[in-house]
Amino acid sequence: MRLTLRQRTERKWLLTAEPEVLEELRRLRARVTHVTGALAATSDGVVLAHDTATVEPEGVAALTAAALGVAQSLAGATGRGAFRELLVRGENGYVATYAAGSTAVLTVLAGDRTNVGRLHMEARRSGARLADLVGVALSRAEQP
Amino acid sequence: MANTQTALKEAMTSIEGSLGAALVDYSSGMALGTVGGGKDLDLTVAAAGNTDVVRAKARTMEQLGLQDSIEDILITLGSQYHLIRLLKGRDSQGLFLYLALDKNRANLAMARHQLRKIEADLEV
Repeated sequence: MRLTLRQRTERKWLLTAEPEVLEELRRLRARVTHVTGALAATSDGVVLAHDTATVEPEGVAALTAAALGVAQSLAGATGRGAFRELLVRGENGYVATYAAGSTAVLTVLAGDRTNVGRLHMEARRSGARLADLVGVALSRAEQP
Repeated sequence: MANTQTALKEAMTSIEGSLGAALVDYSSGMALGTVGGGKDLDLTVAAAGNTDVVRAKARTMEQLGLQDSIEDILITLGSQYHLIRLLKGRDSQGLFLYLALDKNRANLAMARHQLRKIEADLEV
């Protein structure tokens, strides 16, 4: 993948937000029981920070980006507007992706016994907080 | 027989002092229906939070070795009563009715009695 100079600068600045982003992910894990991992990534699949022990974050971020593409098209084609969230339930639990502004996403892994109502509440809040952090990092990138 | 929305509306209108009511699935923490509530009482937050209450009580009973089931849970606040009634029907396992009442206007015994009646009529 070839990146423009601008994209490279943006990525460099985005990664400076990592400590705060990681703190937000840890806070989310602490607040919702049965959450086993969380990661923040750009919409195109670059990991910004992760708090995951059981899965490989780069792989999950890449798959999130792929699923996000399909979800965006589906939402668009059916007139549902911009992407907000995506919930997948498997036999052993949930994986959910929440929009964090227009350039980043938050992906959360949770066990089957998790309280989805609470997960939505807390993860939407975290998504908004991550959007702020990413916004600040990007505005730093735009300064000369 | 009443559907979810009708039963919740009935709870709001027939039970004196009702502030809000919800039918909640406590395997997911999500509300199947809500009536009333508003700025001061967000019923989706109440659904998720009270799911934790119900699960904690069920776990405690299991740890105590009580071979019994929960009929209802009453939480008394300074100005409100919160009533949680677990549904017992064959098709409504894993659900509870949640009702918030204004303490000054509500008659607790009457509210419990009416909620029991609403449960019996409810078809999910």
